[in-house]
Amino acid sequence: MTGIDHRLALERLLASDHAAPNPIDDIEALLKAHHPDYREGSLVSLAVGANRGSECPTALAASLQSNARIEDADLAGAPVVDTEVLIIGGGGAGCAAALTAAEAGGRVILATKLRIGDSNTVMAEGGIQAAVGEDDSIQRHFEDTLRAGHGCADRRLVACLASSAPDSIRWLIDRGMRFDLAEGGAIGGKLLRKKPGGATRARILSFKDYTGLEMMRVLREAVELDERIRLWNRCPLVELLSDEAGHCVGAVLYDLALHRFVLVRASCVILATGGVGRLHLNDFPTSNHYGATADGLVLAYRIGAALRELDSFQYHPTGIAWPSFRLGGLISEAARSAGAHLLNGLGERFVDELAARDVVSAAILRECAEGRGIEREGMVGVFLDIPELERRQPGTLAQRLISLGHLARQCGIDPSREPMMVRPTLHYQNGGVVIDENGTTSVPGLYCTGELSGGIHGRNRMMGNALQEIITFGRRAGLHAARSASRHPAPKVGLFHLQGWRRQLVAAGMPLDRFGPDLFPRYANFDFGDELALRGGKRTTYAPKRARRVE
Amino acid sequence: MTHRPVLLAPTAAVGADLDAWLQNGGAEGLRHALAAPERIIPALAHAGLRGMGGAGFPTHRKWSSVAGQSAGDKYVLCNGNEDEPGTFKDRHLLSASPHQVIEGALIAAVAVDANHVLLYVNPHQHEALKSTRSAIEQWRASGLLAPIERRLGLRLALDVVESSGRYIGGEETAVIATIEGGFPFPRRKPPYPAESGVHGRPTLINNVETLANVTHILRHGADWYRALGIGGACGTKLYSLSGDVLEPGLFELPMGTSLRELVFTHGGGMLGPLAFKAVFTGGPSNTLLTADDLDVALDFDAVAQRGSRLGTGAMIVISAGTSIVRKVAEYVDFFAAGSCGQCTPCKTGTYQLSRLLRRIDTGVGVQADLRALESLCALLPGSGRCGLVDGAVTVVRSSMQQFREEYEHQLIG
Repeated sequence: MTGIDHRLALERLLASDHAAPNPIDDIEALLKAHHPDYREGSLVSLAVGANRGSECPTALAASLQSNARIEDADLAGAPVVDTEVLIIGGGGAGCAAALTAAEAGGRVILATKLRIGDSNTVMAEGGIQAAVGEDDSIQRHFEDTLRAGHGCADRRLVACLASSAPDSIRWLIDRGMRFDLAEGGAIGGKLLRKKPGGATRARILSFKDYTGLEMMRVLREAVELDERIRLWNRCPLVELLSDEAGHCVGAVLYDLALHRFVLVRASCVILATGGVGRLHLNDFPTSNHYGATADGLVLAYRIGAALRELDSFQYHPTGIAWPSFRLGGLISEAARSAGAHLLNGLGERFVDELAARDVVSAAILRECAEGRGIEREGMVGVFLDIPELERRQPGTLAQRLISLGHLARQCGIDPSREPMMVRPTLHYQNGGVVIDENGTTSVPGLYCTGELSGGIHGRNRMMGNALQEIITFGRRAGLHAARSASRHPAPKVGLFHLQGWRRQLVAAGMPLDRFGPDLFPRYANFDFGDELALRGGKRTTYAPKRARRVE
Repeated sequence: MTHRPVLLAPTAAVGADLDAWLQNGGAEGLRHALAAPERIIPALAHAGLRGMGGAGFPTHRKWSSVAGQSAGDKYVLCNGNEDEPGTFKDRHLLSASPHQVIEGALIAAVAVDANHVLLYVNPHQHEALKSTRSAIEQWRASGLLAPIERRLGLRLALDVVESSGRYIGGEETAVIATIEGGFPFPRRKPPYPAESGVHGRPTLINNVETLANVTHILRHGADWYRALGIGGACGTKLYSLSGDVLEPGLFELPMGTSLRELVFTHGGGMLGPLAFKAVFTGGPSNTLLTADDLDVALDFDAVAQRGSRLGTGAMIVISAGTSIVRKVAEYVDFFAAGSCGQCTPCKTGTYQLSRLLRRIDTGVGVQADLRALESLCALLPGSGRCGLVDGAVTVVRSSMQQFREEYEHQLIG
């Protein structure tokens, strides 16, 4: 892909009249031609598992249909820990589930791949939806969400989301989360509401432009201070444990500090591992956190959970396109809603900046594909013209776009003088594991919540519903798991589901030497010792290691 | 090589439908038996039929000792408790083709002059229980029992009894205790059931598969049956193949088929790239066969020569990716949970074995644990009234002999 030289494009930009763009005649055709979800050859049909026959992106399919990284023999000598509820994932959903499960009296272990709070939750800038306004209603929230999801969402889940949303806000405030207020002082007052794209009423509650960070601050403190929750940082999930009936009865974690496996036997396992951005579907950069490698999705699928809307992903229009070290970083939609324009290398506006995310993304990709993008050091994108916005509405940058200012400075750009280069970035997994209102999946003992789960957003997610989802369904899953947990661990715990899984792989002619899930992005060069790297297909005979003395 | 299945033949798989069974040659064996009752036991002796429930005891010897008892109430029990890991043949026979089993039990009644024929079925196996019940109803209504009753001069009681569903309930004296209405507690032998069984009366107990074979021996003759086997072995055997093979399942193969043929031809070979490591034969109460034993013929004598037992014909194949200690610990847990608790050495011994194995398995085991395991293996055998604790010890001892280095690798000091 090539584009117009950056310097030349800057000159054209200065000369541009910022005339309104021509309306797009055929949105369907634009999406079909340029949106990555519709790209020719990018989808393959799954050959094994509960969703055999459905289509999903090639990179994800390879992960979903991979072989397990571990064998029974690798777990020889691994310590076993018992608990009632095991929660995997230290983002907002995992913390909400852990807090609720602990309050309901369950013994809880919260294990996270990196550290608690290392998640996409902290990156959520816009806010959280809840129908709390006098002019608003739960019914409106329900209908708006369904409509935005093109009618594909599970109505029971959406109803649950909308009706629990105000209580979720109350719960967060009780735990100390702050929100912007419309009137009143530091204590008391009414919540400030903003209108999300596609909504009929102002429904976004926020705290400056780092709502997710503020939420995570509160959740993290609550989890760390709760003595009933054992918090295990740096313990990625490697495989789920099953019993002979195929129920989920725990998980195998890999302790990165001690370099050994740990088996956790649990009555209920709640996966809250987030999305798939770091698989870089269709070779897209991503706005996602380092840990978003679809590990939970892959393992849930392997143990038998059904998935839905696997072919639907959200590409955020304004990811950073230059410089390369911040590629894919997210510039909030706030910039466009404040009035910033998108311009191509000819200095023309080419799309209504406030159209739906998928339309704007497709339009940017069209400009780049047809040679009207801007090229700088090999990167191609379009301009997001902040300087012109600042001239038009002085002070916007300082008051409304604080995070954008930080981001621009990281890129070595003065945002008031130089336009940012943007192009779409892989942002959100719309579908995921099929769940019910309590987060239970088709596999007994296995719960899923957060971005990992599907059905709430249909084929397109509204702004602010992701933060609401993690709190609402995180809490519900935690409560249900703690109540249904039994104090006695399953008698026979092992990797029983792997035999059937491998038989399916062989029957479908799939390779057995593609191992998954990826715990970290492939380019991370993480040092696992040789324990986890061993599943590269080289080692075929088992040579047991001497067990390490337990600390 | 090709061979025609007998017990799993499509003509036998008629479900509980008695008419279909009769159309496919059913009741022919029973007619032959009634025509010449004195020739039944010699025919079984000539056919070389042995008990398929695990022990491999010659069937005709059991039968003749019951037949030799004084007249009066006698019992024939068909043992379908089947609860050991890796075995799934009896439930299949009872659900897919119960008539060949019932006919075999009736032939036994003719041979030993028994007036009670009871099918003892595990209630956890719903399909088997349902199918057997329905089949029995049809036999009772059919009038086929009348010639037997005429011969006995007594009414013949044909019925189904639900077992307790526990593993120990399959032990023959526990079967008797259950039928008498008690807990499934084994007792000391002798007296053997043939002398003093249900309510003190002579009792014949045979496995489901054994009785199914009787039907076919009586129908086709003992010579035909002998010729089905390979080498010196007679007849066919049902193998329940499971574990890390590509196509697990129930196979009926000539007695004496090699382990290699079973695993690599019929079972489709190993699953994935991992190598063959070992086989747990006949459920857990028996020993391990390793890669050196792949060419062993799977019949009672050849397997016994290797220091193992064919048992029920269950073959749990494990690959190089399986941890021996964990697998053995799982089996010993099964025994510990299944101990009826009457004998202290069994009750506490199986628990201690399990605890020591779990210590080694979870990375906290030391040399002393291994030594303690060895002492228990020397101390426990023969200390219970039934063979449960012996079974637990056998599997531990066998695995320690074959895979000692794996145990030692997992010790921390």
